[in-house]
Formats: sequence, structure tokens, C-alpha cells
Amino acid sequence: MISFLLAYITLTLFAMMFLGIYGVATRSNLIKKIIMLNIMGDAINMLFILIGYRLVFPVFPPIYEKHITFREFLSRAVDPVPQALVLTAVVIGMAMNILLTTYAIQFYRLHGTVDARDMAEILRGEDG
Amino acid sequence: MKRDAIVAIFFLLAFLFVSYAVTVKNVLGLGEAELRPLGEFYLSHSFAHEGLTSHSPEVVTAIVWNYRGFDTLFETFVFFLAIMGALSVLRLTEEQAKIVREIEGREPHRRMDIIVRATTKLVVIMIVSISASIALHGHITPGGGFQGGSAMAVAALLLFAAFSKFTLERKGLTLGHTMSAYAIGLALIMVTVLAPLFLYGGKILEINLLPGEMGLFNLDVGEYTAVTFGFLTVFLILGIPEWIFKNVLRREMND
Repeated sequence: MISFLLAYITLTLFAMMFLGIYGVATRSNLIKKIIMLNIMGDAINMLFILIGYRLVFPVFPPIYEKHITFREFLSRAVDPVPQALVLTAVVIGMAMNILLTTYAIQFYRLHGTVDARDMAEILRGEDG
Repeated sequence: MKRDAIVAIFFLLAFLFVSYAVTVKNVLGLGEAELRPLGEFYLSHSFAHEGLTSHSPEVVTAIVWNYRGFDTLFETFVFFLAIMGALSVLRLTEEQAKIVREIEGREPHRRMDIIVRATTKLVVIMIVSISASIALHGHITPGGGFQGGSAMAVAALLLFAAFSKFTLERKGLTLGHTMSAYAIGLALIMVTVLAPLFLYGGKILEINLLPGEMGLFNLDVGEYTAVTFGFLTVFLILGIPEWIFKNVLRREMND
């Protein structure tokens, strides 16, 4: 049962990831592209956390406490490495998001469109 | 449309392949009772070696600021660069800023009705205290500067929605203030990172030389301030209403 649940969650996350890549590749609206990029990033982060999970009961967070022995701590605690990775990836993802949104908004203010195809034409027109 | 269908079929095939690899072959190693050797190393060494590591019982914080300190430090600078990029794209000249201030000063005192305002006040107080506890206890309990800062940014967004940006600016939360607070957070991080070099004769970022948990605490507080006010700075600029911004930009184009 638990392995079925794990496989189900993992496949859902992978489906979200591929959905995100598909959206980034096929939509031409920049805002939609940014939203799909976010969905993809969140799915990948969740997947990382899931990889660090450990199938024991009861499972501990990776925080050492005085009232449990060190051996028990080692046999119960989840993997801290993916958590440390995701922790910074989330904030950097948010910063990247801010930058992309800012560019899209500024382009809309200057040219009145956020469509990637129109954007290419406008930029080509400015060059020539 | 035809190309879209081809792309969709291709992605579907890739998804089927990945799901076969993950569920049948278990390439990711999901759902195992055993720990990976690297994770076990960090769990057993983060607190065992007194004096060599950063005195943190919380292994994630120990990894983020001790084993992988340079990565986190430079990620702070990536964040800094992203915010500076946003600020430089949305930058206004001094004349434009003056016009924006004039138009915003003439704005009526708009806000939502009393139910929304009272609820938002309660929720914001709760979020701020929770985010402070996340950040200040980051070296003992789950949490840290990044997480606390992100939670605090959410509180700021709630205030923006319920009270409008103009009310906050009239109360003193202007762009200059948030940017100074951001600079103070970054300065605290830099001082803590450089302190072992000048005070204790160690290397850069060797925070285990600092007394007690001071190094981790300072870094957490610095990161908390930096992330909170970095986000707030960008929100303040993005919060300038569209029609004001267009007005200002058009006026420049007409000149």
C-alpha cells in the first residue's frame, strides 16, 4: 500500500513537471510561460523532498535532541541533504520569478503586449 | 496545432519512460528504510565534533551555513543580483519619481471594508510573530533565515492587498527605508562572514570560531532581514499602479 502511494505521488509530480515543460514550450503568452515554469519548479522541489524521505516508523526530522540516543537518531532521521538543497532553491526560484515578472510587466508597459511572437516582431522592427 | 500535438505525444512518451524507470526499476531509490551514505555522514558529524562544526543540532542549518556555507553565501548574492536587476529595469529618473509621488499624493485614501481590515491585522500579527520565531530559532528548530523571510514577505503582500500601498507609504514604509533595511541585513551577513578572519585569525566563513551559536544566529538574522526587505523593495516598486506608470512613461516619450 505505502509503495503504491509513493509511486502515485511520484508519478503525479513527474506529470506536473512534464506539464510545466510542455506549457513553457507551447504557450506564447509570457505570463502563462512564467506560471508553467513555477509549476515545474515546485514539482521538482517536492520530488527532492520525497527522495529524502525514509520509510521507517516513527520518522524524525533531522534535528538532534538530548532525550534520544545517537544510534536511534541515525536510524530514524530523514536525509537532510535534499532539504538543504530545496531550502535555497525555493528562495532563488522566487527571486528568478521576480526578475521574469518585472521584465514581462515592463515590456507590456512599453509595447502593450506579452505575446512572444509579437515580441519578436517588435524587436525585429526596432533593429531595422 | 499539428506541431502542438507532436510535442504533446513526445512528452507523453517521455513521461511513460520516466514512470517505468521510477516505479518498476526504482532508479530514484524511493521508499527505502536505509539512508544514503552522504546523508548518514552529515547526520552523524554535524553535532558530534564539538568545535569543528557550527554547534547546531539542526542538521539542515548546519549543512546550509557550515558545510555548504559558500554556496549559501553566493546564493545570497544571486538574490541580490535578481533584486538589483528588477530595480534597474523598473527604475525611474528623479523627475519621474517626483511626478509619481505627486500623483500618488492626490490619490484618495482607499481601503477595504472593516471586516477585511480587522482580519488582516490579526493574521499579519500572527504571520510576523511566526516568521520571527522561524528565523530567530533557526539554529535549534526547523527553520532559518530564508524561510522566515519568505513568510514575512507574505505578510507584506497581505497588507498591500488590504490597506493599499499608499497607506503603507504614508506610515513610513517607503522605498528608501526598505532598501536601507536590506543593506543592513546584507552588512550583518558580511560582518559575520568576515569576523573569523579579522578577530580569530581563521579563514573566511569559519563561523565555528565565534563564541557559542553566535555565528549561526547572526547569519539567520541577517538573511531574515535581507530576504524580507529585498522582497518588500520589489513589491513596493511593482505596486505602483499601472495607469500612473504608463502616464509617466508616455509623458517621457512625448517629450
